[in-house]
This record gives sequence, structure tokens and C-alpha cells, in this order.
Amino acid sequence: MSAEHKLLKTVLWDFQVKELNATMGEFGGWEVPMMYTGIMKEHMIVRTDCGIYDVSHMGRVRMTGPDVIPLLQKVFTKDISKTKEYWMSGPTLALNEYARVKDDEMPYKVSDEEWLVVPNAPYREKMLKHFAKVARENGFKVNIEDLTFKLGMIAVQGPKTVEVFEKIGAGWVDDLRTLQFRMNEEIAGQKVFLISRSGWTGEDGFEIWAEPKAMIEIYRALLKAGAKPVGIICRDTIRIEMGFVLGGHEYGEDPKEFPPANSLRYGLGAIDWSKRGFIGEDALRAYRREGVRWIRVGIKMRKRHARAIIRQGYKLYVEDQCVGWVTSGTYSPYLKTTVGQAYVDSRYAIFGDYVEVEIRGKRYEGKILDFPLVPGRPVVK
Amino acid sequence: MSVVEFEVAGKKYLVRTDLRYTKTDEWAKKEDNKVREGITDYAQKELKDIVGVELPEVGAEVKKGEAIGALESVKATADLYATVSGKVVEVNERLLEEPELLNKDPYGEGWIVVIEMSNPKEYDELLTPEAYIEKCKKGEH
Repeated sequence: MSAEHKLLKTVLWDFQVKELNATMGEFGGWEVPMMYTGIMKEHMIVRTDCGIYDVSHMGRVRMTGPDVIPLLQKVFTKDISKTKEYWMSGPTLALNEYARVKDDEMPYKVSDEEWLVVPNAPYREKMLKHFAKVARENGFKVNIEDLTFKLGMIAVQGPKTVEVFEKIGAGWVDDLRTLQFRMNEEIAGQKVFLISRSGWTGEDGFEIWAEPKAMIEIYRALLKAGAKPVGIICRDTIRIEMGFVLGGHEYGEDPKEFPPANSLRYGLGAIDWSKRGFIGEDALRAYRREGVRWIRVGIKMRKRHARAIIRQGYKLYVEDQCVGWVTSGTYSPYLKTTVGQAYVDSRYAIFGDYVEVEIRGKRYEGKILDFPLVPGRPVVK
Repeated sequence: MSVVEFEVAGKKYLVRTDLRYTKTDEWAKKEDNKVREGITDYAQKELKDIVGVELPEVGAEVKKGEAIGALESVKATADLYATVSGKVVEVNERLLEEPELLNKDPYGEGWIVVIEMSNPKEYDELLTPEAYIEKCKKGEH
């Protein structure tokens, strides 16, 4: 590692390396836990048991002031005016003027004048600058505070999660509805800045923000109660089969590389077409009027091609015509086959029909499906 | 035959003393006029979970150093190289359904191909276990 390019370390770095013996690697400029006991094993832990992700590399930003709501309404495609206190608004998109996605985030409402947002790690600095610039240009009175280096964050996910919290005397977490959050609670005798019933896995689970020392104690208590550490590589395999998107794969700011935001078919109420005045609105409505050229779909390989791994960039064919490209792919140990996401020319995107994926010169059939590819998810409480 | 453990950057890896090795992390075992090959413990640990393989055709003529197959790890595809020149006479079809054998038992049940040598001298040109350990420590590929 050269002196110029140093990776950022999260507040839980020491704990991960020395106590949990995590296999570390790079993501978005941070050194994060890639894996602990095995990627496929960890994927199954999240779907059948209870896994703990260290997501301290994600941004944690607090916004306060009289104009937070106008700022969020300008930056994001969702109408957040109806969000209630101590609820997350659901995922939404921040666009650039070409209607390409800068980041996908979920605002949390503490009060009209206090909100929290969680930018994705690679875009944290970009979004902090963007929020500040939009506030400045519009005369919005907002104070933006970066809490990323003050607090750690973990995501505890899987069907056995509530059981685990019950074992450590925090069974009250089951009272939270999905997307609801609380602040200043106590878990395992430690002060918790925030706990939300949320996650990026489609399973039941909670995300916790806490100061490093408290976070480590909570983490240790969860491990004792049967939760297991899971790394960022299985975070990717899990989100792929759910149909959740990742920057640099399904979206990006460059119009030469990525289709406009409506092609994403993001779902989950991320875009409120009834809302006016957000950045990128003109371009987005123009694309909507034109009709989309590409749409994002799920791909599930035929059983006999279960191990034909598809990856970003692989081309798709119908009757020898190239009709799109893969954006993400992986083998799913849960579905016992290879799955992925792709952009397909809207004229050929027939759900339930097959498309051929070219892998090193040979073609293998996969079915075009809508998301999620995992039955019975997302789990909503 | 014994198993030797070595360390690189705080992580431990195993080599077998009865095998030969390549710079591209394959192992080779001489069996009369044939060579059985696979990938090393170092390779499988670096790749992490292997989820798919592409095997050469039985009967294929291969050249030493040629890419003859592929290993699909979760994050990337890695080429498999022929350790010697000759004809592929056997491939481990079990790997098609159970690629995890490459991680679990890389020197045993995770063997990949058997090549009938066209030039037996090539086997002696392969790295000794000591030279392979050196290579790993230096971080060459």
C-alpha cells in the first residue's frame, strides 16, 4: 500500500482484525471485512440464521435546521413530506441533471428539523458536497454533520434475529415495525444512538448505530447469543438475489455507461412522480415521455447451467441479436443456481422468456424474471 | 510425503512435499507417464469460495503454460494452466456439481485434470515445494 493511497479504517477496524479475525479487503476506499468463515456459508447464515454485518464504512449524516425538508425534497425523487417521526422514508434516489443516479439512500425522520441519511460508502464525500452545494445555491438553512467517524454501524439480519435479541434481554426490538427506528435506547447495558428495523437483505433484521466502545460490547453480546459475523462479499450475493441495486453496477452518473433512473425499475416507491422540483426532474420526465430503451431485469440460469457464472458486462442474446448486458451476477447457494441482474432492451424483456448469456464465447440460457428472485421476501413486520 | 505449512502476510498455507508447482499456483503429481494437476492451498485461499469450474475436454491436446480451463470464484474468474504438454485423459467431473471440493481438499479430491505427457522432461522443470514457497512469499504470479 503506497503512502498516497491509504484505505480508510472504520471505528471497528481493530475489533474486526484482532478479535474476529476477519479477512479484510477494499471497498469504496475503506478496508472492510470481506469474509469470516466462507462466503457461501455466510450467505446461508443470513437466509436461515442470524448474521452480523459491520457496515461502519457507510456514511452516517445528520441534518438539522429549518430547511432540511426542502433540501431533501430537492435532492431526492421521493416525496418525504408524509414521513412520520421515528420512521425511515423508504429508499429513494438522488439524481444528477441527466437523470442518472448519484446515490440511493433512505432518509430517517427524527423531527421536521432533524433528519439522518446514510450515503453509500463510495459516495459519502460526493453526497456531503452535493447536499452542501444544493443548500447553498437555494439559500437553505441546514447544518450538515458527518457522524461516520464517531459512530459504528452494524446490520443484524436473518430469521433468527429476534430470538438473538431476546437472549440478550432486548426482546422489545420486536415492537418496532419495519422502517421504524428509536434513538437513545439501551442494548446489553450499552447506549445505542439509533436502532432501526431495516436492512439490505430482505430478511427481518435491525441496524444499530453506536459509539465504538458500546458497539463492540453489543457485538460481543450478540455473538454470545448465537449471531455470527458475515462479510461484505455475502452482502453482495444476498442483495443480488433480492434485486437491490449497487452503484457502479446497476447505476452510475455517466450517461454513456448507464441508462436513466426510470430504466432501473427500482420499485419500493423510490420515485414519486407527483412530486415536482427535484434535481434531474426535467430529464427524468423527458425519458418517461420517450419511453425506456432499457429495463433492469432479473436473470435466473437454467438448472443445467446452475454453475455457469454470469458477471458484469457479459452480453445477452436473443436469436443471435445482442439485446443487453449483465450488471451483476453470482452463484446463489440458497437458490442453488446462478442468478443476476441485467439491462435488457425493453422490446425483448419478456418476463418468463429465455435469453442467452455469453460466457467466454459460449452461450447459456437464463430466464428473465422480476424481483425478488428469492420467494417469501422481503420480510416485513 | 509430508505437508509443510508456511506463512505469508500473517496467513498460513499448506504445500505437499511430493508435488511440483507452477508460478500460477497449480500443483502437479507424476503418475508414471501422466501428471495429475490441481490448484494449491494458496490459490484456493486467495480465491475464497469457488462456485464453478470450466474443465477441458477429454482428448484435448494441451501445451504447458496454456490456459486449459477456468475457476469461478465469487468475485472473479481465474484461468487454469496446463502444468505439462500432452493429452488430457481424465477430468474430475465431480467438480461440476461440487466445486467446493477445490476449497475443501485442493490436493486430494479437488484434483482437476490428468494429462498424459508428450515431453516428460517438462515435469522436472516445475517448481520444487521450496521454490514454490519462495514464490508465494515474494508475491510473484
